This record gives sequence, C-alpha cells and structure tokens, in this order.
Amino acid sequence: MSTILQLTGVSKSYGEVSALRAVHLDVADNAYVTLLGPSGSGKTSLLRVIAGFELPDAGSVALRGRPIDGVPAHRRGIGFVFQNFALFPHLTVERNISYGLENRETDPVTDPKIWRGRTKDIMELVGLTGFGGRNVNQISGGQRQRVALARTLITEPRLVLLDEPLGALDANLRSRMRAELRQIRERLGIAFLHVTGNESEALAMGDVVVVLDHGAVTQIGDPDTVYNRPASPQVARFLNRYNLFTGQPSTADFQTAHGRFPIAGANVITATGAEPAYAIRYDRIAVKPAAASAGAGEVRVEGAFVASEYTGASVLSFFALPDGKVIEVESHLSQRPPETYEPHAPYSLIWNREAALVFV
Amino acid sequence: MAMTSTLGNAEPTVEPKTRRNLTTAWLLIPGVAWMVLFLALPILMMIYISFWTQTTFTIKSDLTTANWVNFFTSPTYLDSLWTTVRIWITVLAATLIVGYPTALFVGLLVRNKTTQTVLLVLCVIPFWTSFLIRVLAWRPMLGTDGAINLILLKLGLISQPIQALLFSELSVVIGMTQIYCVFMVGPIAFMMGRIDPNVIEAAQDLGAGFWRIFRTIILPLSMPGVVVGAIFVSVMVLGEFATSAALSGRKVNMLGNIIVTQVGSLKWAFAAVVGAVLTVLMGLVVAGLLRIVDLRKEL
Repeated sequence: MSTILQLTGVSKSYGEVSALRAVHLDVADNAYVTLLGPSGSGKTSLLRVIAGFELPDAGSVALRGRPIDGVPAHRRGIGFVFQNFALFPHLTVERNISYGLENRETDPVTDPKIWRGRTKDIMELVGLTGFGGRNVNQISGGQRQRVALARTLITEPRLVLLDEPLGALDANLRSRMRAELRQIRERLGIAFLHVTGNESEALAMGDVVVVLDHGAVTQIGDPDTVYNRPASPQVARFLNRYNLFTGQPSTADFQTAHGRFPIAGANVITATGAEPAYAIRYDRIAVKPAAASAGAGEVRVEGAFVASEYTGASVLSFFALPDGKVIEVESHLSQRPPETYEPHAPYSLIWNREAALVFV
Repeated sequence: MAMTSTLGNAEPTVEPKTRRNLTTAWLLIPGVAWMVLFLALPILMMIYISFWTQTTFTIKSDLTTANWVNFFTSPTYLDSLWTTVRIWITVLAATLIVGYPTALFVGLLVRNKTTQTVLLVLCVIPFWTSFLIRVLAWRPMLGTDGAINLILLKLGLISQPIQALLFSELSVVIGMTQIYCVFMVGPIAFMMGRIDPNVIEAAQDLGAGFWRIFRTIILPLSMPGVVVGAIFVSVMVLGEFATSAALSGRKVNMLGNIIVTQVGSLKWAFAAVVGAVLTVLMGLVVAGLLRIVDLRKEL
C-alpha cells in the first residue's frame, strides 16, 4: 500500500504550550485511519497543520511524496470536514455542495449543467437526494453532516481529514454514520483520517488506529493490537477498558500498594518513558465471595462493592480497594445472569495472571 | 390532594393562551402611548399644517395647496432637495468606503476580543467631544490658513491655499463622514464578528482564493450590517442641518437648513411642507435599503 500522507518531525506550540512534539506519521492511501486522543492531546492542531490552516514550527508535511509545507490551504487539495460542519449559512444545500467546484482557484467548473450533475451524483452518494433546495438551517444534524461530507468529496480529494465528525450527532445517528462513512470511503477508494476522542469509535472505524498523547504519537496499529496490546499505560488508560496499578516491577513480581502481583506468564510490554504499570482488563476479572482464595496461577485482591451500571449486554461493577482505589469489573450477561452484590460488603476479585499486561 | 385542589381552582373559562396575550399586551402600552403622542400625532399635525394658509406674519387654518405648489415650483427649494440627496449619497459612499475595510479588519481579522473592543472604542472617540467643538475644530484644520493648507504649502505641493477646503460642499462631506462613519463601522463589524472562522477556512479548503471567498462568503454574510449601517447614516445625514450650516458658512442648504430658516421666520406652514417632504424621502430611502437584505432572517 502506498503512502498518501507523510509527517516528519512536525512540531507546533502556542506560546508556552506545545501542541505537537515531533510527530511522525504515515497515512496509507485507500485506508480508514482513526486518530485517537483525549481532549488537549493535539489532535485538532495536527489536522489543522495537515490542512494548511496553521504552519508547523518545525518538521515537514508531504502529500504523495511531495512536500507541501509552503502551499497555502486552498491549493493543497486535502478535504476537511469540520466538527461543527461550518456550512455556508447563506447558501442552499445544493450551492453548499457545489461551492468547491464553482469557486476553486484551479480549474473551476462554470457550466451550471456540469456542476448541477455532479452535485446530484454526490448527493445521491451521501443520501441527500431531494434536499438540494433546502436552506442549511432547515435540515437535521445528520443531514448537515452529510452536506459537510458531500461538499468536501465533490472536489475529489485523495485525502479527507475529519475532525470529530460524529461528535455533534446523537448516539443513534452516530452508530449509523459510522458504517456509512466506512462504506462511502470504500466506494471512493480514498484515504480518510478521522480524529476522535471516543475509543470505541476509533477501534470500530479504523483500519489503522493512531494514538496521540500530549502532542506525540504513542502507538500505531490495527484496532486489535491497540486494544489487546496497548503500547503504554497511557494508551491503556484512553481505551477505558483497563484497571491500572502503579508500582515497582522486579524479576518475579510487580509490587503495588495492593500486594505483589506475579509477573510470570503475564504479557510484559516495554514502554519507554512511562511509569511502570500493571493492567488488567475489566472483563478479565471474576467476582467471588470474600472467602474465596486464588487458585494456581491466579491473582486475588479484596474490594468492597460500591455500585453497578447496567449497559444492556453487560454490567459494569465498581469495587473499592482498602485505600479507595476503584476497580471496574465487566460481566457479560450472555455468559451468566446478573448477580446482585451487597453494597459495602467485601468480595474477592480474581484474575488469571496470564490475562494481565505489565508495562516496564 | 394539594395537586387536585390547585387544578380545581383554575379558571376554566379563560384559555391560558388568551390570558397570557392579555398580560403581555400591557407591556406595549407605554411604548404605544409614547409613539402615538410624540410621533404619530405630530406627523399628522405637520401634514395638516402644511395645508394651512401662510401670510407673512400669521398662519390661518384655511386649507390650501399653495405651500406645496410653492415648494415644487421654486428652483431654490428643488435645488435644496437635490443638494440633500447629493450630500446623502456622497456621505453614504464615503462612510462605506472608509468604514467597510475598517469593519472587516476589526470584526474579522482581529480575533482577540479585547483588541476588538479597544479598536471599536477608538472609532467612537470623535463622539466624546461635543458636537459644536467637533464641527468647529474642522475650521482651523481646513481653513485657508488651516493646517492642511499650511502643510501642503510647506511641502511645496501647492503655491496658493486651496479655498475649496472650507465653507464648501467638500468640507460638509468631510465633516459628516467623520462623524457618521462609526455608525457604519459598528453594525458591519458586528456582522463580521458573527462569521464562523471555520466557514472561511472551509471555503479555503475547497480551493477558493481570497477574493473569491470575499465575494461569495464575506460580502453576503456582512450585507445585513451594511444595510443597518446605511440606514443609520442615511437617516442622520438626511435630517442634518448643523454640520452643513457650520462647515459651509450657510452656503450649502439642505432641507434641514430650510426648515430652520422657515421656522425662524415663523413660516410654520412652509416648514411643515419641507418636513413632510423630508419624512417621505427618509421613508423611501429606508424602505429601499431594507429591500436589499431580509433583516428578519438575521434577528
């Protein structure tokens, strides 16, 4: 697979705050790449630098192997879908979509017959047929999202940047748009770089997931790898699926405030520049009566039940360890019916040591 | 139980909606009373008086069209009407030329709210001095021995002072533009400030260059500000008499100056005719400006 976009050592700071620190990133052509990062991780800055709205302090951006550092935004040919859609409020849906064709500096389409035809085609692709004459204030959020996408796609960019495109939509619509965005991209055969702060969105939509933390790329991989083998404790934290313990590793075990967890058999991941951490996924922990003891190859801690959250297919239960640290346990209801736990009563939390990840 | 008794007490005969309408109607009374007493009645009175019979020192309530015929046949008055329209168009154009780029800069390019406020306040500074001082200050500036002539003479650009700078239509236009420019800048800068920067970036991302973005996005989105600003400036310039009197040495007579003179010589009926003509002219101008943009969409 060829590379469409290449970032080399891109840095950007706003006054004292550095938003991007020497970012290296290759985006493959014809792929759906998601960029996951918490708020303030520099994801929007990264997109704005790629699009040319802001200049990096250092580093270089190359499109199809050619550096585009001095090229102004309107000559880059990169599509950008804004988080708030940024539709032209005074134009109809049709004129919003045809804007790029009619007004671009290079090779504008002046023949109304041609741009009308192309607008009609693209409106069909994104499911907006029949809405052309509407004002952009008279359509729903989902339709506005489609207009924003269609307006970008009509200029036939090879790369489309999407800045939290589903953030402004309600949950129902969001899950439908996930599938639709992937389908549209596949049909066009272009590259999408989708920025999001939502870990399930990043994992569900990306062929490749890039994790950004404090302005630096911390992991690049397919969703399965990122989910099961996060490269650092920070990545594990963003995934929102791991209980993390800090402590000191030794050859045999990992010393935490809650006891010694054996390392033997656990997955050891070398994460440079990070505090050592021990991670166990929410759904790998079993809740047993307080009297239960750990079996062979198992790890046990004791926690008091706090509360639980019912999510439909599973229940998320919270247990407080003696020092107040909260452990989350996820039980899938397809495996067993929900159990009721006594509030404030102690329970044994047991997991297989092979299920744990140790970051050293 | 408490709930049931409350519900039982409700008056079933009066619909809640009607009752609210009656309550809210009270809010209108002060405004309506004020407008009827001090706007509608005086205008009707003015139109009525314009048909009274005017003799040199007295005015009688015998109805006649003589005043109107006099206005539309006298070259002096028609000339004054034309002067008013001419100065209005010139000042409107001048405030737009000076004000639009200023507003574009303040409203769109300055993204720091504090700087934006400071710059807008700078535009208002001419207003902090009294009208009289502001207008009279132009005399040492524009006069034959004034600052501009002195500088031009010193630089050797002219050999004789330019007489036309002061006590001419030019000085009236300069003075009015300076005073009323802020009324153009304010509304336009406000509309510019409401443009989402992402919208401009989106246009850029779609391949449009600066002038294209200006013509297709910035200009249409700032048009309501231009119209509101133009209405402010037009209404004030059309009714002007003080600036034109002070800066033209009474050579430039706008309709407002005619009214002042007529009232001064107790010719109420004739002043009423000029007043009515001026009111109609303003109405036409405002109505015409409002046709350019549908302001209801912006509110």
